[in-house]
This record gives sequence, C-alpha cells and structure tokens, in this order.
Amino acid sequence: MSLKPYLAASALALAATGATAQTDLPQASSEWFAAAQDTVAQALQRQPNTGRALNVVLMISDGNGVGTNYASRLFQGQQTGGFGDEFVQSHESFPHLALVKTYNVNAQTPDSAGTGTAMMAGVKTKAGIIGVNENVVRGDCATLDGNTVTPISRIAVDMGKASGIVSTARITHATPASAYAQTVDRNFEAHVPEGCESQTDIAQQLIEAMESGLIHVAMGGGMRNFHAGEGGRREDGRDLIAYAQDELGAQFASDMASFKAVDPASGAPILGLFESSHMMYEADREDEPSLAEMTAAAIAALQAAGGDNGFFLQVEAGRVDHANHGGNLARVVRDQQAFADAVAMADEMTDDADTLIVVTADHEHAIAFNGYCGRGSDILGLCMGIDGAGVAHTGEPNTAEDGLAYTVAGYLNGAGSILVPEAAGEADTSATNASVEVGAAEGAVPVFSGSRPALSQEQATDIDYLQQALIPMSSETHSGEDVAVYAKGPWAHLFDGTLEQNVIFHVMHHAMTADR
Amino acid sequence: MHRRHLLMTLPFLAAPALVRAAPGDADAPIKVRDLYTRARGFSDLAQARDGRRISVSGYMAPPLKAQSRFFVLTGRPMAVCPFCESDAEWIEDILPVQTKRIVDPVYYTVGIAARGVLNLGSFTDPETGFVGQMRLTDASFDN
Repeated sequence: MSLKPYLAASALALAATGATAQTDLPQASSEWFAAAQDTVAQALQRQPNTGRALNVVLMISDGNGVGTNYASRLFQGQQTGGFGDEFVQSHESFPHLALVKTYNVNAQTPDSAGTGTAMMAGVKTKAGIIGVNENVVRGDCATLDGNTVTPISRIAVDMGKASGIVSTARITHATPASAYAQTVDRNFEAHVPEGCESQTDIAQQLIEAMESGLIHVAMGGGMRNFHAGEGGRREDGRDLIAYAQDELGAQFASDMASFKAVDPASGAPILGLFESSHMMYEADREDEPSLAEMTAAAIAALQAAGGDNGFFLQVEAGRVDHANHGGNLARVVRDQQAFADAVAMADEMTDDADTLIVVTADHEHAIAFNGYCGRGSDILGLCMGIDGAGVAHTGEPNTAEDGLAYTVAGYLNGAGSILVPEAAGEADTSATNASVEVGAAEGAVPVFSGSRPALSQEQATDIDYLQQALIPMSSETHSGEDVAVYAKGPWAHLFDGTLEQNVIFHVMHHAMTADR
Repeated sequence: MHRRHLLMTLPFLAAPALVRAAPGDADAPIKVRDLYTRARGFSDLAQARDGRRISVSGYMAPPLKAQSRFFVLTGRPMAVCPFCESDAEWIEDILPVQTKRIVDPVYYTVGIAARGVLNLGSFTDPETGFVGQMRLTDASFDN
C-alpha cells in the first residue's frame, strides 16, 4: 500500500467517526480527557489579533530556558500545595509560543549582550557587545563607528511612544542596556578605556537617553556606576544621579520609601537605583520593590507619558541568571516566581486587544534533571521513588549505583562540583595557590577527583544548597539550548515554530507598525 | 582515582554533614546567615554571642593574600574575590575570620567550621585591608 492513499483513508475514517465516537471511548470520563478536550476547544476559538499594537512589553527572564522554567513551574506549584507539574505560570497560559535559537554570531553558547541586541535590534551579533553589529571587535572602540544598530525602543519613541526599562540586575547590565546603549564592550558600565573616543560608558549613555527622551523610566540596580562618591565606580568624578535630578527633573528612588513617593503620572522621568550593584535576590529582598511592583510603576508612568501613542517597556528578571551561575536553584526559582508575578501584573494592567506582551529568556543554563522521580518530588530536593500503586511519590529517595540519593535537578558545571583538588585542605600556602583560584595558575593545575557525598532532604532543600555538579567551575555557565517565547496580543500568533532570536524584534516591529 | 587520593578527599566531602548544627545544641556550628537580619543588621543571635567563642559553618573564600592570618567565611561556595567584577557577585552572607595561625587554604567548595570569638563592630584587617562590620578573632578552623 502506498503511503498517501493510506493517509487519505485514515483521514476519512476519522472524519466519519467524529466527536460523538470520542465520547464512547472508555477513557472519555477521565478528567484528563475532558481537560484536553477543553484545551482543543479553546484553541478552536482562538482568533488571530491583527490590529496594531499600541503597547509592546518585552519581558525577559535572564537565563530562564525551558529547563529552568520547568524547575520554576514545579516550585511554584509545590508552594501552592500541588505536585508541581500541573501548575501553570502566568506566561504559560499565553496562547502563542515558539522555540528560540539563542546563539550569538561568534558563540554557540550565547551571552546576554549578544542576545539582548538580537531581541532589541533584530540582528544577531557577537557575544559581549551591545547595540552594535558583528563587524565590531569586542573591546575595540575604533570599530564602533558605522556599526551601530537601532533598538526597538528608539523606533517606539520616534512613533511618539514612551519607553522604559526595568531590571533586577544593574540597569547598566547587558539586557537593559540593549534598550539604550551602543558599546563595543558590555563591561564599559562606568567608564571607557583611555583613548576610547567613539562612545561614552553605559551609565552615561543611559542618562543621555533620558535626556533625549529615549528612556522615560529606568529602574533597577547599579547605583555605583552613576557616581564617584563612596562605593562609586565613576572615574570621571561625575554625579549622574544629581544631574538626572537637577538637569532632567528626574524623580529618583533608592529604597521603598522613595519608590512609593514616585508619582508615575507626573510626566517627569523616573530613575530608580536600589542597590550599588544588582538588586537583591527575591529570597533575600529587603527595602526594595519587587519586580512586579517596578513593572506596575513603569507601566503607569509610561501610560501617562505615552498617552494615546502608547509605550514600549522592557522588563528583565536579571537574577534568575545569577542564581543559576551560583548553582543555587533555590534562589533561581524564587526569582523566576517574582518574574511570573511581574508578567501577571503587566497582563493585568494592559488590554490584550492593543498590547503585545512577549515573554522569553535570553539563554538557558547548564541545568539538567534526573529521573525517575515520583510525583511531588521536591524540585529542590531528592528524587523520590515512583509509587506503582498510587500517584504521589513513595517518600523513599532513589539511589544511584554509589548507593546514595540524588537531587531532581543538577548542573553540568559550577561551584557545586563534587570534584575538588586532590590536595584540598593540604594545599601549600605559596602566593600562587593562595591568591588565585586553584587551577588558574600556569603549571599549577591540580588533579581533581571526588565522589558524591551523602545527602539528606534537609540539606538539599536548604536555601543555600548548591545542586551537585560535575565540572568544577567558579561560576556555572550558560548553555546554547533553546528557550521559549510566549506571547499574547496583536500579532502574537507570528511566534510559531523554531525561530532565530532576532525574529522577536521583527514581530514586535510588525505589531507596532501594522496597518490598522 | 587512586586509593590514597580517595582517603584524602573523603573527609572534606563529608564535612558538610559534620558541621551541620544539631537542633538544641548550643555549641554546634551555626550558619553565617544566622548572624544577620534580613535588613543586613546583626541578628539577635549575633548580639547574644558578641564577645563569645562560637563555631560557624561555611566555606573558605580563596584567601586575599598569601601567608596571612585572615580569610572570609562564606555561606555558599564562592570563588570570586570581593573586589572582582563578575556576573556571580560577592554574596552578602560572609564572616571575616582572623586566625591564630597562618591560614592553610581549603578549596572554596569544601565545607569547614570556623571557631573563634565573635566581635561585632567595624574593623579593618591590618594584613589585607579588608573592611567589615563583624568578624571572628583568635580563630581556628577544621574540615
């Protein structure tokens, strides 16, 4: 039998039996069956929104790839008393999504500078550079001229919209900087090298962006990059915070009291710098607004400033990435929960009819998951056995061939590595070994070895626990694995299939400029 | 792995279990984070133990200076120095430790317990220039 006639015959048979036959199936009374039918029914009702997007909100959870997002889903579900798997994060209820290929032009494993530029300007570029194309040589100021690109925030402002950025990282960090900066190196946050005449530092560029009207709202961490006082990093001695307040009339906030005192409707730009460096992890947050609170304030201010022309807002959960770098999943999932709350806030404050909300990550991390765990195994804890007679896990940890329990999640590399230098604890105290990371000095690389320690559920679920990792590294790495993009609102249906990351800009741009 | 190396490594890997505080045991090691409030002030526990000899579990950050009597105890393994720029920034749960003897470095992911006299108040370590608000003095450590 040839394939095509067989397929045609099968299709006919399916059409003939139809929905009525489905209800005759023995599984038809299952709640799983009914829920899936509801899902299909909702999908059949879905109509593409082809109107013009008045507002665009791009929400980036830095480092929240599909795997990290999975961990956060289970965490949030387990916090509410469920098994976790069944939980739906705010963005996971969005009707449209795609997978995203995140690599940079010169990096299989991307960094946030290259990915931020891809999303904000529509072209992939190299790792470590922001707002410039791939012709730039990282760190070489002479290669900047003629190689800058225009971010979606600029296009929005040129259309009369208001534009803003919110991040829990330093506001001069790569992702938020992609909304306003053009730099040959992401590390030029507070100063540029001597002789670099083609650009100013990133903090200076933010203030210039506020002055030009490119950025109306900027809230996050990174105060140190804006002043030269105690703890300040500015080598030019300037006080950019005072300048923003005195010359630009900006409202400035640095703690909860001053954050609450900000009047979003005043029309004055807003500069919020809540920490010297990054804002606190959500697990440790004190006297700082949450990401959802900053998102709400930013939307209110941008709605007031943009008026009938609308707004563009980029929101970043910057510390999901940092907690992953630290190999500390307990803080990863709590910051991602704060991000999901911010997504819900943005969704609540806007209208699907005229607002495109795009939720994505810039890259994934070297996180991975073990099996075979029973339902309800704590995503931060040990992988418990599957109960063949029931649903919930057995309560007994699975063990590996070393006879020891293991956690559900782990990392391929990082500070949680089970490998240590064989001379650990007996290292000599020469300057080489004592003053630098072990293994970093030429000719002083020790042999690493080790085995997994015994692990209790109490230890594994401690807020400071680092999941076991293999390759010893001081900072766990990104990975090149795909991330997802979730969307709702005008032209959200264009997010479909497996996309290059720079396509995100083009969907946002199409939505903003579509014929009415 | 050679057996000799296995024997050398195992005690360090087992250390986190050894240094875990037992409930109700006043002399058991406490965690670095227990010394701070959420607002980064001194906790009630820290104030109650000020001037007393305590044991604190954590990890040894790579020493800032060779042949010194100073190291920083961290709540989580942390390889970066506090003055370095990195995505993984210096964490807040730290306890400066001034030791009786020159520090014999322990790899930064190996759990240790530091024992010394808790001192609350600003100080500058004379050897390294490290400035802090809390420290252990006259300290020793084991793993």
